[in-house]
Amino acid sequence: MSEEHFIVIGNGPAGHHAAVTLRLEAPGARITLVSKEPRGCYRPHLLPKWISGNIQEEALYVCPVEDYRKMGIKFRSGQKVVALNPVQRELVLDHKEMLRFSGLILALGGKPRIPEPLRIFKDLMFTLKTLEQARVWREEVSHVDSVLMMGGDLTSLAVTKALLSLGKKVVFMVTEEAFWPLRWSLSLFEEMSHRLRQKGVAVLVDQRLKGISRKGNRDYEVQVGCETVRVGMIGAFFGLRPDVRFLAGSGLRLDRGILVDEYLNTGFKGVYATGDCAQIYHPGLRDYWVSVGHDNALELGRTAALNLVGNTVKAEGAGKCVFEVQGIRMNTSWWTEF
Amino acid sequence: MANQVVYSSSPEDFYYMDVNVPCQAACPAATNIPAYIRALFEGRYDDSYSINHMANLLPGVLGRICSRPCEDKCRHGEPELGRSVNICHIKRAAADLRRKGAPPEPGPLASLGKKVAVVGAGPAGLAAAHDLATLGVGVTLYEAFEKGGGMLRYGIPEFRLPREILEEEIDHIVSTGAVLKTGVRVGIDVAVEDLLKEHDAVLLAAGCYRSLRLGLPGEDLPGVYPGLEFMMQVCAEKPPKVGKRVLVIGAGFTAFDCARSALRLGAGDVTICLRRTEEDLAVTKDEVIETKTEGVKIASLMLSRRILGKERVERVEFVRTRAAEEKGKGKGEVVAIEGSEFVLPAHAVIVATGQRPEPLRLEFGDKGEEVLKSDPDSFRSLMKGLYVAGDYLTGPSTVIQAIGMGRRAAEKIIRDLTGRPFREKAVRMEEAEITGRKRAWDYVPRQEMPTVRPVQDRFRTPRIEVETGFSPEQAQEESKRCYLCHLHYEIDISRCIYCRYCIDVAPRDCIKLVKEVKTNEAGAITGLTETTDWAEVNAIMIDNSRCIRCGECMRVCPVNCISVTRVELTERMAQGGDHV
Repeated sequence: MSEEHFIVIGNGPAGHHAAVTLRLEAPGARITLVSKEPRGCYRPHLLPKWISGNIQEEALYVCPVEDYRKMGIKFRSGQKVVALNPVQRELVLDHKEMLRFSGLILALGGKPRIPEPLRIFKDLMFTLKTLEQARVWREEVSHVDSVLMMGGDLTSLAVTKALLSLGKKVVFMVTEEAFWPLRWSLSLFEEMSHRLRQKGVAVLVDQRLKGISRKGNRDYEVQVGCETVRVGMIGAFFGLRPDVRFLAGSGLRLDRGILVDEYLNTGFKGVYATGDCAQIYHPGLRDYWVSVGHDNALELGRTAALNLVGNTVKAEGAGKCVFEVQGIRMNTSWWTEF
Repeated sequence: MANQVVYSSSPEDFYYMDVNVPCQAACPAATNIPAYIRALFEGRYDDSYSINHMANLLPGVLGRICSRPCEDKCRHGEPELGRSVNICHIKRAAADLRRKGAPPEPGPLASLGKKVAVVGAGPAGLAAAHDLATLGVGVTLYEAFEKGGGMLRYGIPEFRLPREILEEEIDHIVSTGAVLKTGVRVGIDVAVEDLLKEHDAVLLAAGCYRSLRLGLPGEDLPGVYPGLEFMMQVCAEKPPKVGKRVLVIGAGFTAFDCARSALRLGAGDVTICLRRTEEDLAVTKDEVIETKTEGVKIASLMLSRRILGKERVERVEFVRTRAAEEKGKGKGEVVAIEGSEFVLPAHAVIVATGQRPEPLRLEFGDKGEEVLKSDPDSFRSLMKGLYVAGDYLTGPSTVIQAIGMGRRAAEKIIRDLTGRPFREKAVRMEEAEITGRKRAWDYVPRQEMPTVRPVQDRFRTPRIEVETGFSPEQAQEESKRCYLCHLHYEIDISRCIYCRYCIDVAPRDCIKLVKEVKTNEAGAITGLTETTDWAEVNAIMIDNSRCIRCGECMRVCPVNCISVTRVELTERMAQGGDHV
């Protein structure tokens, strides 16, 4: 008798929730959870609070690693998938092991994105997605008085809050790229700038980064338009880039993320994508988008798992913080919560 | 004593080359890639350039602008093996680092007393003219523009292809004996029929110079430019004014050249609009990265519907697209998502969605389109003595495809004129030594092409070449990465003692215990049936399609039963007996 073998790649909130849902919905199936991080699932949206010392590290974790064994989920941590063949239903790990599956959920998450024109400065910028990066932030922040935040994504504002709570001076350079899928407009910029200034953040009007010079240890001179800013640290928050490069040539349709239908199906039977690697058309935005936010990730993880075991559940575009901007209902309202 | 060299024209050996030297098989001009990479590694830059030149004629040009089908097939790019070798930029290094001067040319042979007119001095026409001239044909090359080069000169911006490189390599080709007549528009200044009377054959390789239209309302508004015309104006240093916000509709090299040129003309906000996605682009990844680095945005999954404006273009209405319902088919067509309309503002719109050939003008009757229906194998048209090749035959292709086609057309023409073949492909086999290539070189990171930095400097001098070329050290480092797939490793099973040491040291599943060998009609090995049952083993074999030529098996073999043969797909003068 052939056994169902479901694999979930990625152990962020969406992947973890997908694996747990699969366990509940398919009690007899073999379930494998593959994660490149060497630890169990944690809550990345709480990392800024951990950086500011408002919570302990234990509070980040969703469950102890032992729980996977108790749930009957084989957890492969610290293992990276390097190739996928959705037709043959097999994937290759970086240590050359091949895994076969009957169903697959890709919950690959994203990597901090730095726009190509700014990549020349990437070694001078700090990003935040993983616990390792949060450790670096914690250490660096303790030595500096001021931070330049570049971008404007969801994480940037949470980090800004954390920095303000630590008494740091924050300078913000709001950039257009961080707002995808929203179309940039002056009113959007003004609204966000207003909210930031109300909290005591200095907002740069110009968005043209001309150069960054390292003047010393934790001492940077940044030229933006005609202004020169001197800070101890620079954060890059231009949103996440879905971590899908290894899927090039696999046959999956890729754009910013993996293109999926409203049921999160990739076009291949039994292969789903979820969380912030799944790119889906949003009728309200008249554009494609990838989910942002912890609650959306949980919901999408659950939806993918339900559909993999035979349900037909639509991924909901509208989440818990629906709001309207430019007449469009949407749930990517991160700056209004600031 | 010199090693014995064997030439084969057996289909079995050609099949082997196709499967086992994937880079050369992917090159439309069949460039001997492992050989030129090895020559460069050994510091033989002139040889490296000459090996290229023998096959593709324009190494300095192609080392800059080739579409690189070879790199897509490079074994180093297989999933667990990392990234493909930077083959194209090694080619450029050979051109940059060699001693200046014309490469050695075979021939020309004694005059055959035949005359051929080649219409169009673009890549296909130049390649055909070169081959015909070196084989002893009197060639006149007619070019409508002021200078030769075709799309290379009039469609590719100088910041990607400096004109002195192009001039030099065109001069090499013309110096083989072809007469270049520029400023002659065939069909207007001289009739095709007259050329046919004066020559034994005429080859039309006039390229594609008519831009395709979108067929949308508003396309004729001022500020909307066909992509090729736009680039030709840029290349002629008479660029149109584009304003600050530019939308480029299209996904090919021309679209990218237009976008990057628009930035150099002062535009501040340039977006390339794709019907599909970045993943589906035919342009190279390097091109995409450099374009984005310069500040061009790439927007995907959108289809233009209307171009809007009163006196001139002001904005474009798009709809979102999604894949058509062919699930799992990879690059599928897209369909519009109704109700997804949105508008983007624009001061200029550049439509770079493709080109097609100008219709052939004939003196008698209007048969131009029909005449162009040529056989892509023989290149013969419906009019006796008239041949068609290059983009003029196939529609827009790549430079390397055009060169390959021009050379094949020349061979067909000369066979038709003389009744015999002149050149033929053959697999050259020569016993070789283990190369000394180190296993650690598999982990050398791919060397990336250095570019002008900071990016702003590119715009201060818009003609400055963006890619600055490998240093000798970088070129050698990158050339180390090539697996040298032209080396064939083989176990002599009559001497093998089945100790399996070779299997133990093999870095991947490249040495196999074989129960059965599958062959095709030509006798070529198409597959191996493996077994783990020792009683069923009939041979122990190296699967050259999996082998990464590390040489570990040879080093550990206690009975020296593994040999290396250098196998190369080459071209040689026809050996006779194959008259057509």
